[in-house]
Amino acid sequence: MVSIKKIITRDKISTILFLIIPIVLVIIFIYICIIWNVVVSLSDWDGLRPSYDFKGFGQYQKLFTNEIFLTSLWNNIVLILIFVPGSLVMGLLLAILLDQKVRKENVFKLIYLLPFTLSFVVTGFLWRWMYNVRVGVLNTLLESIGLGFFRNDWIQNVDWAMFWVCVVLIWQYSGYMMLIFLAGIRSIPESQVMAAAVDGASGFQMYYRIIIPQLKAPIFTGFVLLLVFALKAFDLIFILTGGGPGYTTEILPLTMYKEVFRKKHFSYGSAIATILFLLIMIVVIPYLYKTYRREK
Amino acid sequence: MTNVIIKNLMKKYGKTVALMDVSLEIKEGEFFILLGPSGCGKTTTLMCIAGLIKPNKGEVRLGGTVLSSSESGEFTRPQNRDAAMVFQDYAIYPHMTVYNNIAFPLQIRGMNKSKVESKVRDVSQRLGISNLLDRKPKQLSGGQRQRVALARAMVRDPKIFLMDEPLSNLDAKLRVYARAELKKLHEDMGTTIVYVTHDQMEAMSLGDRIAILNDGVLEQVGTPEEIYENPKNLFVAGFIGNPPINLIEGTLIERNGKIIVEFGFSSYELSNGIEIMKKTKTPEIMLGIRPENITITKESRENAIQAEVEVIEPLGRENIFHLRVNDKPLIAVSITNRDLNVGEKVWISFDTNRIHIFDKISQKKIN
Amino acid sequence: MKTNKIGSKKKRLPNPKRVFLYFLLILFVFLTLLPLWSAVMTALKTQEALIYSNPIQPPIKPSLDAFGTAFNELRRPILNSLMFTILATLLSCVLGSMTGYALTKVKFRGANTIFLFIIIGIFIPYQAVLIPLVQIIIELGLWGEISGLILTHTAYGIPICTLLFKSFYDSIPDSLINAAKIDGAGIGNTYLHVVLPLSVTPFVVTAVFQFTQIWNDLLFGLVLTGAGVSQPASVALLNLQGGFVTAWNVQMAGTLWYTIPSLIVYLVLGKYLIKGFMTGAIKG
Repeated sequence: MVSIKKIITRDKISTILFLIIPIVLVIIFIYICIIWNVVVSLSDWDGLRPSYDFKGFGQYQKLFTNEIFLTSLWNNIVLILIFVPGSLVMGLLLAILLDQKVRKENVFKLIYLLPFTLSFVVTGFLWRWMYNVRVGVLNTLLESIGLGFFRNDWIQNVDWAMFWVCVVLIWQYSGYMMLIFLAGIRSIPESQVMAAAVDGASGFQMYYRIIIPQLKAPIFTGFVLLLVFALKAFDLIFILTGGGPGYTTEILPLTMYKEVFRKKHFSYGSAIATILFLLIMIVVIPYLYKTYRREK
Repeated sequence: MTNVIIKNLMKKYGKTVALMDVSLEIKEGEFFILLGPSGCGKTTTLMCIAGLIKPNKGEVRLGGTVLSSSESGEFTRPQNRDAAMVFQDYAIYPHMTVYNNIAFPLQIRGMNKSKVESKVRDVSQRLGISNLLDRKPKQLSGGQRQRVALARAMVRDPKIFLMDEPLSNLDAKLRVYARAELKKLHEDMGTTIVYVTHDQMEAMSLGDRIAILNDGVLEQVGTPEEIYENPKNLFVAGFIGNPPINLIEGTLIERNGKIIVEFGFSSYELSNGIEIMKKTKTPEIMLGIRPENITITKESRENAIQAEVEVIEPLGRENIFHLRVNDKPLIAVSITNRDLNVGEKVWISFDTNRIHIFDKISQKKIN
Repeated sequence: MKTNKIGSKKKRLPNPKRVFLYFLLILFVFLTLLPLWSAVMTALKTQEALIYSNPIQPPIKPSLDAFGTAFNELRRPILNSLMFTILATLLSCVLGSMTGYALTKVKFRGANTIFLFIIIGIFIPYQAVLIPLVQIIIELGLWGEISGLILTHTAYGIPICTLLFKSFYDSIPDSLINAAKIDGAGIGNTYLHVVLPLSVTPFVVTAVFQFTQIWNDLLFGLVLTGAGVSQPASVALLNLQGGFVTAWNVQMAGTLWYTIPSLIVYLVLGKYLIKGFMTGAIKG
């Protein structure tokens, strides 16, 4: 008979063995890297030779007086304001449509979700071709159906470029939002829908008064996920516009990349990265707290 | 003049038939029960009346107006049927307060605010839930939720109430009280109620008339007494009554000018055997006798059968005796017999007026 | 009471609402697939055909030239991508499974805290760790190597894989684990003999998810391999367009080549992906 003590020790060792690699990896690649990044942002590493002299918040001061950074920050906010509600609405719309007992529902689901599975690289090139001013898909399509006067310079347009970028993002993410909302709608017991029908609710009233108000949780989840995506959306913009025209579609992740990997302003870039990190944490921490609070 | 007329209702899902040619007439003000085991079609029928299910064939009328007809293709949506429904899980809206839940059917129809308020308060008071109006459903107990569901139905003053096993989610003790309250409510309001349940006790206690369904087929319609005393077929006889009716296989034969039911192990003389013989095609029958109509005696009697006492369930008010007659189990219930012992050999006789004879093949009652 | 006549039994007029519904659904299908359709059409055209036709029209004489050209450029990178994606996916799944198991079924104090500690990793912007990451990879001598990408993707995949497995393992009844315990199985054995055999679904879901994520990545590829021989397909696609004039047919062909593996995974195992997203959605 193995003693209880031995079993407990054996269990302890097993647990440690199971968790050691992942935890070490997470600590190094996530936590230590984040902290190190902050350290770099507080130094003055510029150019190819690392330099870790502590220089305080100088980089941050530079940031907040730098026009490019501020434009970038502003663009990020605009992106969020267009992209997040846009995707939520499209997702909800698609979910409601698919809730109508549609034949071949799974085929539609698969198609609508397809963009989400595409790499941003793919999406970037696809839509570059779509938005190409001279021979691109959209402009030539409009011409060929006689709506030639709707020809646009799309993402070359200084005022509207960001909007058209958001359209691409909404195209990419609506399917995913649709899934989340569909799951939410389907989790409402059918008896409530029947009761509402007997009570006199028409289709529209059913959704407006009964179903949508009960979608608070999925909407919240979707909102947080989209917000996080918006703040990470480097790949797409890198390929689609490179931040242009000018800096009208420049967003924080892109600015950071350019500063570090093109201009070699390491400390400056890491400061940008830190700001980005903090912005995301402001949204994520309360969300995680709310979701996982009960489990504690 | 509200009554419900259901004619030749048929509903099938793919190959499965949920309702087969069901026709019913429900009188105005009746408390009408749809009773049967799970899957018998009672809820489907209710949903057809509500308009939540569209029958493949047949007609539903309410107060003379056609609600749905497969012939003419008419179909009134549930929104427009003036029927209120209470669901088994109550289906109250979790994101609304009790007040808004009850007010919902009125608000949807555009009633003005003050009228809505007075009606809601009225109904809540009647059901004793006035103090709960500001609460949300998750703060309520099962019994309270059930009353909110009831209130929401009542607030509309509908022509008819449809109820789908509204008491089955309550715990046993609460159910007894709720049953009585429901009955009183019906007496006060007088509105027609169509009520679905699988609990025969509930059906017998609440119903003015009961319709028994089995596998989509209407087996019998009648008052509780009619159904109990005069079951039309084996299914109804076996379904109603607790403990259930005893059913014994037998053959009708003639002996010495009298008609006897031959059970094999013993026989039993039938008083009106000759009439019965005329009604059957084959002599194979089932004899049914309810537990309370079996008399147990220690001494032999005429036309009595010998039996052995196997198990006694002393229930205080009455005793249930599980007897065995030659390998066949029988159940008898007695208020009087108090001094029997397990293993004792006794004689049992049947109350002649309460015997049910069923044709074994057609399963129908023939006496 | 209002009644509406639908029409006689024999002739059923299509309900206008349903017609509109399907119209909308198909409109959205069109909007969703338009970019892909155009890409395919474009990739099948020769340079001249490109100039004279409209991108949506199918080519009169389809040509696989563009595909051939693109493939020559992308052959090595796609192989690279396949290699590190598959390996990193496997590693992520195994680690995610073990971690998910240890944090769900082994009840110890602090399990939940460690879980949250790991989960936060799902949300971090990679920019916040990019510079240190590159430094680490260079220090390890793995810059420009596929192994560097494998290590990176595995490490950053741990949070989401752990979450996916934990969601699944939460639904395994504890009684199963307890029964194994009583039978004498330790943590390792319980994992091998009880939990792992039940893990087919989460493995597939997580594998499909991770495969898609890793295959689609651009940032790490850019930063850890440059334009070298080990570059992933995503980076190579960037460099495909050379010179002043973009050969759109080649670019589109290249894009399609790049998409094909993940598209295949999606079409074959798509419902698992959907399952994975929906569990993630409900749990957050």
